[in-house]
Amino acid sequence: MNNRDMMSKHQGKAAGVVKALLWIYSTCVFLLLLYMTYQSLRPKSDILGKTFAAPEKLSLDNYIRLLTEEHFFRYFGNSLVILVFSLALLVFLSSLTAYGIARYQFKGRRFCRVFFLIGMMFPAQLGVIPIFQIMKTLGLINSPLSVILVSSANISMPVFMLTNFFEKLPNEIYEAAVIDGAGEWTAFRKVMFPMASPVVFTVCITASVQIWNQFFLPLVFLQRDEMKTIPQLITKYTSNIMNTVDLAAAASTLATIPILLLFIIFSNRILDGVMSGGVKG
Amino acid sequence: MKKRKRRPYIWFLLPGFLLYLAFVIYPILAAGKLSLFEWNGIGEQVFVGFRNYKELFSAPDMMGQMLNALKNSLILFVLTVLIQVPIQLIMAYMIYSKARGKSYFQVAIFSPQFIATPVIVFLFTLLFDGNVGVVNRVMEAVGLGEYTRSWLRVPEFGIYIIWAMITWAGIGVGMMYFISAMKMIGTDSLESAYIEGAGFWKRLWYIVLPQMKMTILNIILIGYIFCMTVFDYSYLLGGTAGGINGSVDVMSLFFYRMAFGDNNPLGGRISNNSVGMGTTIACVLFAMVFVVALIQILIVYRGGKDNE
Repeated sequence: MNNRDMMSKHQGKAAGVVKALLWIYSTCVFLLLLYMTYQSLRPKSDILGKTFAAPEKLSLDNYIRLLTEEHFFRYFGNSLVILVFSLALLVFLSSLTAYGIARYQFKGRRFCRVFFLIGMMFPAQLGVIPIFQIMKTLGLINSPLSVILVSSANISMPVFMLTNFFEKLPNEIYEAAVIDGAGEWTAFRKVMFPMASPVVFTVCITASVQIWNQFFLPLVFLQRDEMKTIPQLITKYTSNIMNTVDLAAAASTLATIPILLLFIIFSNRILDGVMSGGVKG
Repeated sequence: MKKRKRRPYIWFLLPGFLLYLAFVIYPILAAGKLSLFEWNGIGEQVFVGFRNYKELFSAPDMMGQMLNALKNSLILFVLTVLIQVPIQLIMAYMIYSKARGKSYFQVAIFSPQFIATPVIVFLFTLLFDGNVGVVNRVMEAVGLGEYTRSWLRVPEFGIYIIWAMITWAGIGVGMMYFISAMKMIGTDSLESAYIEGAGFWKRLWYIVLPQMKMTILNIILIGYIFCMTVFDYSYLLGGTAGGINGSVDVMSLFFYRMAFGDNNPLGGRISNNSVGMGTTIACVLFAMVFVVALIQILIVYRGGKDNE
Protein backbone atom coordinates (compact mmCIF):
# COMPACT_ATOMS: atom_id res chain seq x y z
CA MET A 1 0.00 0.00 0.00
CA ASN A 2 1.54 3.30 -1.01
CA ASN A 3 1.33 6.57 0.82
CA ARG A 4 -1.45 7.89 -1.36
CA ASP A 5 -3.71 5.04 -0.30
CA MET A 6 -2.59 5.39 3.30
CA MET A 7 -3.50 9.05 3.24
CA SER A 8 -7.02 8.33 2.10
CA LYS A 9 -7.41 5.93 5.02
CA HIS A 10 -6.49 8.47 7.67
CA GLN A 11 -8.93 11.33 7.23
CA GLY A 12 -10.51 11.70 10.63
CA LYS A 13 -14.04 12.11 11.90
CA ALA A 14 -14.81 15.47 10.28
CA ALA A 15 -14.05 14.02 6.88
CA GLY A 16 -16.45 11.20 7.65
CA VAL A 17 -19.19 13.71 8.39
CA VAL A 18 -18.47 15.59 5.16
CA LYS A 19 -18.59 12.35 3.22
CA ALA A 20 -21.94 11.48 4.77
CA LEU A 21 -23.24 14.93 3.82
CA LEU A 22 -22.03 14.43 0.27
CA TRP A 23 -23.88 11.12 0.07
CA ILE A 24 -27.05 12.75 1.36
CA TYR A 25 -26.75 15.77 -0.91
CA SER A 26 -26.01 13.75 -4.03
CA THR A 27 -28.86 11.39 -3.33
CA CYS A 28 -31.21 14.34 -2.77
CA VAL A 29 -30.31 15.72 -6.19
CA PHE A 30 -31.41 12.51 -7.85
CA LEU A 31 -34.42 12.12 -5.58
CA LEU A 32 -35.58 15.61 -6.51
CA LEU A 33 -35.38 14.75 -10.19
CA LEU A 34 -37.22 11.48 -9.61
CA TYR A 35 -39.84 13.36 -7.62
CA MET A 36 -40.40 15.73 -10.53
CA THR A 37 -40.69 12.77 -12.89
CA TYR A 38 -43.16 11.12 -10.53
CA GLN A 39 -45.35 14.24 -10.35
CA SER A 40 -45.28 14.53 -14.13
CA LEU A 41 -47.15 11.21 -14.31
CA ARG A 42 -50.03 12.38 -12.13
CA PRO A 43 -53.14 14.40 -13.01
CA LYS A 44 -53.16 18.05 -11.98
CA SER A 45 -55.79 17.58 -9.27
CA ASP A 46 -53.59 14.99 -7.56
CA ILE A 47 -50.42 17.10 -7.72
CA LEU A 48 -52.23 20.07 -6.20
CA GLY A 49 -54.60 18.31 -3.84
CA LYS A 50 -52.86 15.14 -2.74
CA THR A 51 -49.24 16.12 -3.32
CA PHE A 52 -47.84 13.39 -1.13
CA ALA A 53 -50.52 10.77 -1.35
CA ALA A 54 -49.71 7.37 -2.73
CA PRO A 55 -50.06 7.20 -6.50
CA GLU A 56 -53.63 6.34 -7.35
CA LYS A 57 -53.31 6.57 -11.06
CA LEU A 58 -50.11 7.12 -12.94
CA SER A 59 -50.42 7.80 -16.61
CA LEU A 60 -48.74 9.44 -19.54
CA ASP A 61 -51.72 11.74 -20.05
CA ASN A 62 -49.71 14.88 -19.33
CA TYR A 63 -47.14 13.88 -21.91
CA ILE A 64 -49.77 13.03 -24.49
CA ARG A 65 -51.35 16.43 -23.99
CA LEU A 66 -47.96 18.08 -24.18
CA LEU A 67 -47.07 16.37 -27.44
CA THR A 68 -50.43 16.79 -29.15
CA GLU A 69 -52.43 19.80 -27.97
CA GLU A 70 -49.43 21.78 -26.78
CA HIS A 71 -47.18 21.16 -29.82
CA PHE A 72 -44.12 20.26 -27.80
CA PHE A 73 -42.33 19.05 -30.92
CA ARG A 74 -42.63 22.46 -32.53
CA TYR A 75 -40.69 24.07 -29.70
CA PHE A 76 -38.33 21.15 -29.59
CA GLY A 77 -37.74 21.63 -33.30
CA ASN A 78 -37.09 25.35 -32.81
CA SER A 79 -34.54 24.59 -30.10
CA LEU A 80 -32.97 21.87 -32.21
CA VAL A 81 -32.61 24.07 -35.31
CA ILE A 82 -30.94 26.75 -33.22
CA LEU A 83 -28.64 24.23 -31.53
CA VAL A 84 -27.54 22.36 -34.66
CA PHE A 85 -26.86 25.39 -36.82
CA SER A 86 -25.26 27.44 -34.05
CA LEU A 87 -23.00 24.59 -33.08
CA ALA A 88 -21.98 23.76 -36.64
CA LEU A 89 -21.25 27.40 -37.42
CA LEU A 90 -19.46 27.95 -34.11
CA VAL A 91 -17.16 24.96 -34.55
CA PHE A 92 -16.52 25.79 -38.20
CA LEU A 93 -15.68 29.45 -37.54
CA SER A 94 -13.69 28.98 -34.38
CA SER A 95 -11.55 26.12 -35.63
CA LEU A 96 -10.74 27.98 -38.85
CA THR A 97 -9.89 31.14 -36.95
CA ALA A 98 -7.83 29.33 -34.34
CA TYR A 99 -5.96 27.42 -37.02
CA GLY A 100 -5.21 30.62 -38.90
CA ILE A 101 -3.81 32.26 -35.78
CA ALA A 102 -1.87 29.25 -34.57
CA ARG A 103 -0.30 27.91 -37.78
CA TYR A 104 0.81 30.99 -39.62
CA GLN A 105 3.32 33.68 -38.83
CA PHE A 106 2.07 37.08 -39.85
CA LYS A 107 2.03 40.66 -38.76
CA GLY A 108 -0.72 41.34 -36.25
CA ARG A 109 -0.84 37.75 -35.03
CA ARG A 110 -0.60 38.76 -31.38
CA PHE A 111 -3.21 41.41 -31.96
CA CYS A 112 -5.52 38.76 -33.38
CA ARG A 113 -5.14 36.58 -30.29
CA VAL A 114 -6.11 39.45 -28.01
CA PHE A 115 -8.78 40.71 -30.40
CA PHE A 116 -10.65 37.42 -30.27
CA LEU A 117 -10.40 37.34 -26.48
CA ILE A 118 -12.16 40.70 -26.09
CA GLY A 119 -15.58 39.10 -26.43
CA MET A 120 -15.13 37.36 -23.08
CA MET A 121 -14.93 40.66 -21.22
CA PHE A 122 -18.29 42.00 -22.24
CA PRO A 123 -21.56 41.08 -20.64
CA ALA A 124 -24.03 39.79 -23.24
CA GLN A 125 -26.47 42.54 -22.34
CA LEU A 126 -24.13 45.30 -23.46
CA GLY A 127 -24.46 44.62 -27.17
CA VAL A 128 -28.01 43.38 -27.31
CA ILE A 129 -29.69 46.69 -28.16
CA PRO A 130 -27.49 47.39 -31.21
CA ILE A 131 -27.87 43.74 -32.23
CA PHE A 132 -31.62 44.13 -31.89
CA GLN A 133 -31.44 47.12 -34.26
CA ILE A 134 -29.38 45.09 -36.76
CA MET A 135 -31.83 42.20 -36.61
CA LYS A 136 -34.73 44.55 -37.10
CA THR A 137 -33.06 46.00 -40.19
CA LEU A 138 -32.38 42.52 -41.54
CA GLY A 139 -35.94 41.45 -40.73
CA LEU A 140 -34.70 38.64 -38.51
CA ILE A 141 -36.75 39.36 -35.40
CA ASN A 142 -38.77 36.19 -34.73
CA SER A 143 -36.44 34.21 -36.94
CA PRO A 144 -34.20 31.53 -35.43
CA LEU A 145 -31.41 32.92 -37.60
CA SER A 146 -31.06 35.89 -35.23
CA VAL A 147 -30.29 33.64 -32.27
CA ILE A 148 -28.10 31.39 -34.40
CA LEU A 149 -25.96 34.26 -35.67
CA VAL A 150 -25.42 35.78 -32.26
CA SER A 151 -24.76 32.42 -30.59
CA SER A 152 -22.21 31.36 -33.15
CA ALA A 153 -20.44 34.72 -33.27
CA ASN A 154 -19.51 34.18 -29.64
CA ILE A 155 -16.25 32.44 -30.50
CA SER A 156 -13.85 33.91 -27.94
CA MET A 157 -13.51 30.89 -25.69
CA PRO A 158 -13.46 28.22 -28.44
CA VAL A 159 -10.90 30.20 -30.44
CA PHE A 160 -8.73 30.52 -27.36
CA MET A 161 -8.88 26.82 -26.53
CA LEU A 162 -8.33 25.68 -30.10
CA THR A 163 -5.49 28.14 -30.72
CA ASN A 164 -3.67 26.70 -27.72
CA PHE A 165 -4.18 23.24 -29.10
CA PHE A 166 -3.06 23.96 -32.66
CA GLU A 167 0.02 25.80 -31.43
CA LYS A 168 1.18 22.74 -29.56
CA LEU A 169 0.83 20.43 -32.55
CA PRO A 170 4.30 19.64 -33.94
CA ASN A 171 5.01 21.24 -37.28
CA GLU A 172 6.12 17.92 -38.77
CA ILE A 173 2.56 16.67 -39.02
CA TYR A 174 1.61 19.67 -41.11
CA GLU A 175 4.74 19.39 -43.27
CA ALA A 176 4.18 15.68 -43.86
CA ALA A 177 0.69 16.46 -45.08
CA VAL A 178 1.95 19.17 -47.41
CA ILE A 179 4.68 16.90 -48.80
CA ASP A 180 2.00 14.32 -49.52
CA GLY A 181 0.51 16.92 -51.80
CA ALA A 182 -2.15 18.38 -49.55
CA GLY A 183 -3.05 22.02 -50.01
CA GLU A 184 -3.56 24.36 -47.05
CA TRP A 185 -7.23 23.59 -46.90
CA THR A 186 -6.86 19.82 -47.24
CA ALA A 187 -4.11 19.77 -44.62
CA PHE A 188 -6.47 21.50 -42.25
CA ARG A 189 -9.56 19.49 -43.04
CA LYS A 190 -8.05 16.03 -43.39
CA VAL A 191 -5.18 16.14 -40.92
CA MET A 192 -5.18 18.97 -38.43
CA PHE A 193 -8.88 19.36 -37.66
CA PRO A 194 -9.47 15.67 -36.88
CA MET A 195 -6.58 15.79 -34.43
CA ALA A 196 -8.35 18.54 -32.52
CA SER A 197 -11.42 16.40 -31.92
CA PRO A 198 -10.96 16.12 -28.12
CA VAL A 199 -10.91 19.91 -27.84
CA VAL A 200 -13.77 20.22 -30.30
CA PHE A 201 -15.70 17.74 -28.17
CA THR A 202 -15.22 19.91 -25.08
CA VAL A 203 -16.20 23.02 -27.03
CA CYS A 204 -19.31 21.27 -28.31
CA ILE A 205 -20.42 20.09 -24.88
CA THR A 206 -19.96 23.49 -23.25
CA ALA A 207 -21.55 25.34 -26.14
CA SER A 208 -24.49 22.94 -26.51
CA VAL A 209 -25.45 23.34 -22.88
CA GLN A 210 -25.27 27.10 -23.20
CA ILE A 211 -27.14 27.28 -26.49
CA TRP A 212 -29.81 24.72 -25.59
CA ASN A 213 -30.58 26.33 -22.25
CA GLN A 214 -30.08 29.96 -23.22
CA PHE A 215 -32.77 32.25 -22.04
CA PHE A 216 -31.85 35.85 -22.76
CA LEU A 217 -31.42 35.87 -26.55
CA PRO A 218 -34.64 33.96 -27.36
CA LEU A 219 -36.50 36.18 -24.90
CA VAL A 220 -35.38 39.27 -26.79
CA PHE A 221 -35.46 38.01 -30.37
CA LEU A 222 -38.17 35.34 -30.51
CA GLN A 223 -41.40 36.94 -29.42
CA ARG A 224 -43.93 35.14 -31.60
CA ASP A 225 -45.20 32.06 -29.82
CA GLU A 226 -44.57 29.55 -32.61
CA MET A 227 -40.90 30.57 -32.76
CA LYS A 228 -40.15 30.04 -29.09
CA THR A 229 -37.75 27.50 -27.63
CA ILE A 230 -38.10 24.81 -24.97
CA PRO A 231 -36.99 26.97 -22.00
CA GLN A 232 -39.55 29.58 -23.05
CA LEU A 233 -42.27 26.94 -23.29
CA ILE A 234 -41.46 25.72 -19.78
CA THR A 235 -41.55 29.29 -18.55
CA LYS A 236 -45.05 29.63 -19.95
CA TYR A 237 -46.21 26.70 -17.78
CA THR A 238 -44.24 27.52 -14.65
CA SER A 239 -45.34 31.14 -14.58
CA ASN A 240 -48.89 29.96 -13.87
CA ILE A 241 -48.28 27.03 -11.63
CA MET A 242 -51.81 26.56 -10.30
CA ASN A 243 -53.22 26.10 -13.79
CA THR A 244 -50.47 24.24 -15.57
CA VAL A 245 -48.42 22.44 -12.95
CA ASP A 246 -49.03 19.15 -14.75
CA LEU A 247 -47.71 20.46 -18.05
CA ALA A 248 -44.84 22.18 -16.28
CA ALA A 249 -43.81 18.90 -14.70
CA ALA A 250 -44.11 16.95 -17.93
CA ALA A 251 -42.28 19.53 -20.05
CA SER A 252 -39.54 19.95 -17.43
CA THR A 253 -39.04 16.21 -17.20
CA LEU A 254 -38.98 15.78 -20.95
CA ALA A 255 -36.49 18.61 -21.32
CA THR A 256 -34.23 17.47 -18.51
CA ILE A 257 -34.09 13.72 -18.00
CA PRO A 258 -32.86 12.64 -21.47
CA ILE A 259 -30.04 15.18 -21.34
CA LEU A 260 -29.04 14.09 -17.85
CA LEU A 261 -29.03 10.44 -18.93
CA LEU A 262 -26.69 11.36 -21.78
CA PHE A 263 -24.49 13.21 -19.32
CA ILE A 264 -24.39 10.26 -16.93
CA ILE A 265 -23.47 7.87 -19.74
CA PHE A 266 -20.66 10.11 -21.00
CA SER A 267 -19.83 11.68 -17.64
CA ASN A 268 -16.19 10.58 -17.58
CA ARG A 269 -15.38 12.15 -20.91
CA ILE A 270 -17.42 15.26 -20.25
CA LEU A 271 -15.99 15.91 -16.81
CA ASP A 272 -12.46 15.35 -18.11
CA GLY A 273 -13.20 17.87 -20.82
CA VAL A 274 -14.49 20.39 -18.29
CA MET A 275 -11.35 19.98 -16.22
CA SER A 276 -8.93 20.29 -19.11
CA GLY A 277 -10.79 23.01 -20.94
CA GLY A 278 -11.32 25.26 -18.00
CA VAL A 279 -8.87 27.37 -16.11
CA LYS A 280 -5.85 25.62 -17.46
CA GLY A 281 -6.79 26.44 -21.05
CA MET B 1 9.80 23.23 -49.67
CA LYS B 2 8.20 25.79 -51.86
CA LYS B 3 7.66 29.15 -50.36
CA ARG B 4 4.11 30.14 -49.67
CA LYS B 5 3.53 33.51 -51.25
CA ARG B 6 -0.19 33.66 -50.89
CA ARG B 7 -1.59 34.38 -47.50
CA PRO B 8 -3.72 31.41 -46.60
CA TYR B 9 -4.22 32.60 -43.03
CA ILE B 10 -6.50 35.37 -44.28
CA TRP B 11 -8.96 32.83 -45.62
CA PHE B 12 -8.88 30.96 -42.36
CA LEU B 13 -9.41 34.09 -40.29
CA LEU B 14 -11.88 35.97 -42.44
CA PRO B 15 -15.22 34.18 -41.83
CA GLY B 16 -14.85 34.13 -38.07
CA PHE B 17 -13.49 37.64 -38.06
CA LEU B 18 -16.45 39.04 -39.97
CA LEU B 19 -19.16 37.43 -37.86
CA TYR B 20 -17.33 38.24 -34.66
CA LEU B 21 -16.91 41.82 -35.81
CA ALA B 22 -20.59 42.17 -36.72
CA PHE B 23 -22.16 40.60 -33.66
CA VAL B 24 -19.61 41.07 -30.89
CA ILE B 25 -17.32 44.02 -31.54
CA TYR B 26 -19.57 46.40 -33.48
CA PRO B 27 -22.48 46.12 -30.98
CA ILE B 28 -20.16 47.04 -28.13
CA LEU B 29 -18.99 50.19 -29.89
CA ALA B 30 -22.51 51.00 -31.03
CA ALA B 31 -23.80 50.63 -27.47
CA GLY B 32 -21.21 53.15 -26.29
CA LYS B 33 -22.30 55.57 -28.99
CA LEU B 34 -26.04 55.09 -28.44
CA SER B 35 -25.70 55.84 -24.74
CA LEU B 36 -24.97 59.44 -25.76
CA PHE B 37 -28.27 59.80 -27.57
CA GLU B 38 -31.88 60.09 -26.64
CA TRP B 39 -33.70 57.52 -28.73
CA ASN B 40 -36.49 54.98 -28.48
CA GLY B 41 -35.35 52.82 -31.39
CA ILE B 42 -37.86 54.16 -33.89
CA GLY B 43 -37.99 57.95 -33.91
CA GLU B 44 -35.28 60.50 -34.29
CA GLN B 45 -31.90 60.19 -32.54
CA VAL B 46 -31.04 63.27 -30.53
CA PHE B 47 -27.48 63.73 -29.33
CA VAL B 48 -27.52 64.57 -25.63
CA GLY B 49 -23.92 63.99 -24.55
CA PHE B 50 -23.67 62.54 -21.08
CA ARG B 51 -27.18 63.52 -20.06
CA ASN B 52 -28.34 59.89 -19.82
CA TYR B 53 -25.52 59.14 -17.39
CA LYS B 54 -26.33 62.25 -15.35
CA GLU B 55 -29.96 61.26 -15.21
CA LEU B 56 -29.11 57.69 -14.18
CA PHE B 57 -26.91 58.92 -11.35
CA SER B 58 -29.08 61.79 -10.14
CA ALA B 59 -32.77 61.05 -10.68
CA PRO B 60 -33.90 59.51 -7.36
CA ASP B 61 -36.07 56.90 -9.05
CA MET B 62 -33.32 55.64 -11.39
CA MET B 63 -30.59 55.86 -8.78
CA GLY B 64 -32.77 54.00 -6.29
CA GLN B 65 -33.45 51.17 -8.70
CA MET B 66 -29.79 50.93 -9.61
CA LEU B 67 -28.54 50.93 -6.03
CA ASN B 68 -31.08 48.29 -5.08
CA ALA B 69 -30.05 46.11 -8.03
CA LEU B 70 -26.38 46.57 -7.17
CA LYS B 71 -27.02 45.74 -3.53
CA ASN B 72 -28.68 42.49 -4.56
CA SER B 73 -25.83 41.57 -6.89
CA LEU B 74 -23.40 42.32 -4.11
CA ILE B 75 -25.27 40.03 -1.71
CA LEU B 76 -25.06 37.27 -4.30
CA PHE B 77 -21.35 37.83 -4.68
CA VAL B 78 -20.60 37.94 -0.95
CA LEU B 79 -22.54 34.74 -0.36
CA THR B 80 -20.71 33.13 -3.24
CA VAL B 81 -17.30 33.98 -1.86
CA LEU B 82 -18.07 33.22 1.78
CA ILE B 83 -20.16 30.08 1.36
CA GLN B 84 -20.08 28.66 -2.13
CA VAL B 85 -16.33 28.78 -2.74
CA PRO B 86 -15.40 27.07 0.58
CA ILE B 87 -18.00 24.38 -0.08
CA GLN B 88 -16.64 23.87 -3.58
CA LEU B 89 -13.13 23.56 -2.17
CA ILE B 90 -14.16 21.00 0.42
CA MET B 91 -16.15 19.00 -2.13
CA ALA B 92 -13.21 19.09 -4.53
CA TYR B 93 -10.80 18.01 -1.79
CA MET B 94 -13.00 15.06 -0.81
CA ILE B 95 -13.23 13.90 -4.41
CA TYR B 96 -9.53 14.51 -4.95
CA SER B 97 -8.82 12.41 -1.84
CA LYS B 98 -10.65 9.53 -3.44
CA ALA B 99 -13.61 9.47 -1.08
CA ARG B 100 -15.76 6.42 -1.71
CA GLY B 101 -18.49 7.32 -4.19
CA LYS B 102 -16.53 10.12 -5.79
CA SER B 103 -17.90 9.46 -9.30
CA TYR B 104 -21.41 9.48 -7.88
CA PHE B 105 -20.73 12.83 -6.15
CA GLN B 106 -19.23 14.35 -9.26
CA VAL B 107 -22.14 13.38 -11.46
CA ALA B 108 -24.76 14.45 -8.90
CA ILE B 109 -23.12 17.78 -8.12
CA PHE B 110 -22.43 18.61 -11.75
CA SER B 111 -25.81 17.46 -13.14
CA PRO B 112 -27.78 20.67 -12.48
CA GLN B 113 -25.38 22.39 -14.87
CA PHE B 114 -27.31 20.70 -17.67
CA ILE B 115 -30.73 21.81 -16.46
CA ALA B 116 -32.37 24.87 -18.01
CA THR B 117 -33.06 27.74 -15.63
CA PRO B 118 -36.87 27.54 -15.85
CA VAL B 119 -36.67 23.89 -14.79
CA ILE B 120 -34.43 24.80 -11.87
CA VAL B 121 -36.97 27.39 -10.79
CA PHE B 122 -39.69 24.77 -11.19
CA LEU B 123 -37.76 22.27 -9.05
CA PHE B 124 -37.46 24.89 -6.34
CA THR B 125 -41.18 25.55 -6.69
CA LEU B 126 -41.87 21.86 -6.09
CA LEU B 127 -39.85 22.17 -2.89
CA PHE B 128 -40.78 25.58 -1.53
CA ASP B 129 -44.15 26.50 -3.01
CA GLY B 130 -46.89 27.49 -0.60
CA ASN B 131 -49.39 24.94 -1.88
CA VAL B 132 -47.56 22.03 -3.45
CA GLY B 133 -44.16 22.49 -1.80
CA VAL B 134 -42.47 19.56 -0.10
CA VAL B 135 -41.02 21.74 2.65
CA ASN B 136 -44.40 22.97 3.89
CA ARG B 137 -45.84 19.46 3.89
CA VAL B 138 -42.90 18.19 5.89
CA MET B 139 -43.23 21.06 8.36
CA GLU B 140 -46.92 20.30 8.81
CA ALA B 141 -46.10 16.67 9.37
CA VAL B 142 -43.61 17.42 12.15
CA GLY B 143 -45.87 19.96 13.85
CA LEU B 144 -44.41 23.20 12.54
CA GLY B 145 -47.53 23.90 10.50
CA GLU B 146 -47.87 27.43 11.84
CA TYR B 147 -44.60 28.49 10.23
CA THR B 148 -45.45 27.31 6.73
CA ARG B 149 -45.58 29.95 4.07
CA SER B 150 -45.09 30.53 0.41
CA TRP B 151 -41.33 30.64 0.67
CA LEU B 152 -40.65 31.83 -2.84
CA ARG B 153 -42.98 34.79 -2.39
CA VAL B 154 -41.41 36.27 0.76
CA PRO B 155 -39.60 39.41 -0.42
CA GLU B 156 -36.99 39.23 2.36
CA PHE B 157 -35.92 35.78 1.20
CA GLY B 158 -35.98 36.60 -2.50
CA ILE B 159 -32.34 37.25 -3.19
CA TYR B 160 -31.22 34.38 -0.96
CA ILE B 161 -33.46 32.01 -2.88
CA ILE B 162 -31.92 33.28 -6.10
CA TRP B 163 -28.51 32.59 -4.62
CA ALA B 164 -29.54 29.09 -3.57
CA MET B 165 -30.69 28.35 -7.11
CA ILE B 166 -27.52 29.77 -8.66
CA THR B 167 -25.38 27.78 -6.27
CA TRP B 168 -27.27 24.54 -6.74
CA ALA B 169 -27.06 24.92 -10.50
CA GLY B 170 -23.51 26.12 -10.82
CA ILE B 171 -21.51 24.69 -7.95
CA GLY B 172 -20.21 21.78 -10.03
CA VAL B 173 -18.19 23.82 -12.50
CA GLY B 174 -16.00 25.55 -9.93
CA MET B 175 -15.60 22.27 -8.11
CA MET B 176 -14.28 20.60 -11.26
CA TYR B 177 -11.81 23.45 -11.77
CA PHE B 178 -10.62 23.01 -8.19
CA ILE B 179 -10.22 19.25 -8.63
CA SER B 180 -8.23 19.86 -11.77
CA ALA B 181 -5.98 22.35 -9.95
CA MET B 182 -5.50 19.89 -7.06
CA LYS B 183 -4.46 17.16 -9.46
CA MET B 184 -1.61 19.42 -10.66
CA ILE B 185 -0.09 19.56 -7.20
CA GLY B 186 2.86 17.23 -6.77
CA THR B 187 2.06 14.38 -4.40
CA ASP B 188 5.58 14.49 -2.90
CA SER B 189 4.87 17.43 -0.64
CA LEU B 190 1.57 15.91 0.42
CA GLU B 191 3.19 12.59 1.23
CA SER B 192 6.01 14.07 3.24
CA ALA B 193 3.50 16.19 5.16
CA TYR B 194 1.51 13.05 5.82
CA ILE B 195 4.56 11.19 7.08
CA GLU B 196 5.39 14.10 9.36
CA GLY B 197 1.94 13.76 10.84
CA ALA B 198 -0.07 16.54 9.20
CA GLY B 199 -3.74 15.59 9.35
CA PHE B 200 -6.25 15.53 6.52
CA TRP B 201 -7.47 19.12 6.93
CA LYS B 202 -4.03 20.50 7.78
CA ARG B 203 -2.76 19.18 4.48
CA LEU B 204 -5.60 20.97 2.70
CA TRP B 205 -4.90 24.25 4.50
CA TYR B 206 -1.10 24.33 4.44
CA ILE B 207 -0.20 22.41 1.32
CA VAL B 208 -3.08 22.26 -1.14
CA LEU B 209 -4.72 25.69 -0.86
CA PRO B 210 -1.52 27.78 -1.06
CA GLN B 211 -0.71 26.06 -4.33
CA MET B 212 -4.00 26.88 -5.98
CA LYS B 213 -4.41 30.55 -5.15
CA MET B 214 -4.71 31.57 -8.78
CA THR B 215 -7.47 29.07 -9.45
CA ILE B 216 -9.39 30.25 -6.40
CA LEU B 217 -8.95 33.86 -7.45
CA ASN B 218 -10.13 32.97 -10.93
CA ILE B 219 -13.28 31.28 -9.61
CA ILE B 220 -14.01 34.30 -7.40
CA LEU B 221 -13.63 36.66 -10.35
CA ILE B 222 -15.86 34.50 -12.53
CA GLY B 223 -18.35 34.52 -9.65
CA TYR B 224 -18.24 38.32 -9.53
CA ILE B 225 -18.90 38.65 -13.25
CA PHE B 226 -21.71 36.11 -13.00
CA CYS B 227 -23.38 37.83 -10.03
CA MET B 228 -23.19 41.21 -11.78
CA THR B 229 -24.70 39.94 -15.03
CA VAL B 230 -27.15 37.27 -13.84
CA PHE B 231 -30.58 37.66 -15.42
CA ASP B 232 -32.75 34.55 -15.87
CA TYR B 233 -33.29 33.66 -12.22
CA SER B 234 -34.46 37.13 -11.24
CA TYR B 235 -36.63 37.43 -14.31
CA LEU B 236 -38.26 34.06 -13.71
CA LEU B 237 -38.84 34.58 -10.01
CA GLY B 238 -39.78 38.25 -9.97
CA GLY B 239 -40.85 39.10 -13.50
CA THR B 240 -39.74 42.27 -15.26
CA ALA B 241 -40.33 44.30 -12.12
CA GLY B 242 -37.83 42.23 -10.15
CA GLY B 243 -40.20 41.00 -7.49
CA ILE B 244 -42.10 42.85 -4.78
CA ASN B 245 -40.29 46.15 -4.12
CA GLY B 246 -37.49 44.96 -6.37
CA SER B 247 -36.53 42.23 -3.91
CA VAL B 248 -34.83 40.14 -6.57
CA ASP B 249 -33.91 42.96 -8.96
CA VAL B 250 -30.42 42.88 -10.48
CA MET B 251 -28.57 45.11 -12.94
CA SER B 252 -29.36 43.03 -16.03
CA LEU B 253 -33.04 43.03 -15.19
CA PHE B 254 -32.97 46.79 -14.60
CA PHE B 255 -31.34 47.07 -18.00
CA TYR B 256 -33.94 44.83 -19.62
CA ARG B 257 -36.78 46.77 -18.03
CA MET B 258 -35.46 50.08 -19.33
CA ALA B 259 -34.53 48.80 -22.79
CA PHE B 260 -37.41 46.49 -23.64
CA GLY B 261 -40.16 47.78 -21.38
CA ASP B 262 -42.24 46.47 -18.60
CA ASN B 263 -44.45 43.69 -19.97
CA ASN B 264 -46.25 43.08 -16.74
CA PRO B 265 -49.96 42.24 -16.72
CA LEU B 266 -50.81 45.75 -15.56
CA GLY B 267 -49.92 47.04 -18.99
CA GLY B 268 -46.62 47.56 -20.72
CA ARG B 269 -44.79 50.79 -20.53
CA ILE B 270 -41.64 51.77 -22.27
CA SER B 271 -39.96 55.13 -22.05
CA ASN B 272 -39.32 57.24 -25.10
CA ASN B 273 -35.63 57.03 -24.32
CA SER B 274 -35.51 53.23 -24.07
CA VAL B 275 -32.47 52.76 -26.28
CA GLY B 276 -30.53 55.70 -24.84
CA MET B 277 -31.13 54.78 -21.21
CA GLY B 278 -30.86 51.04 -21.89
CA THR B 279 -27.42 51.34 -23.44
CA THR B 280 -26.38 53.74 -20.68
CA ILE B 281 -27.20 51.14 -18.03
CA ALA B 282 -25.46 48.48 -20.12
CA CYS B 283 -22.34 50.66 -20.25
CA VAL B 284 -22.39 51.23 -16.49
CA LEU B 285 -22.76 47.48 -16.03
CA PHE B 286 -19.82 46.96 -18.35
CA ALA B 287 -17.70 49.45 -16.43
CA MET B 288 -18.28 47.44 -13.27
CA VAL B 289 -17.33 44.18 -14.93
CA PHE B 290 -14.50 45.41 -17.13
CA VAL B 291 -11.53 45.54 -14.74
CA VAL B 292 -12.42 42.26 -13.13
CA ALA B 293 -12.92 40.61 -16.51
CA LEU B 294 -9.58 41.94 -17.66
CA ILE B 295 -7.77 40.38 -14.70
CA GLN B 296 -9.67 37.15 -15.19
CA ILE B 297 -8.68 36.95 -18.84
CA LEU B 298 -5.05 37.62 -17.96
CA ILE B 299 -5.16 34.68 -15.57
CA VAL B 300 -6.67 32.42 -18.22
CA TYR B 301 -4.31 33.74 -20.89
CA ARG B 302 -1.29 32.86 -18.82
CA GLY B 303 -2.79 29.49 -18.07
CA GLY B 304 -3.28 30.30 -14.37
CA LYS B 305 0.34 29.72 -13.42
CA ASP B 306 -0.35 28.12 -10.07
CA ASN B 307 1.83 25.13 -10.12
CA GLU B 308 4.95 26.16 -11.91
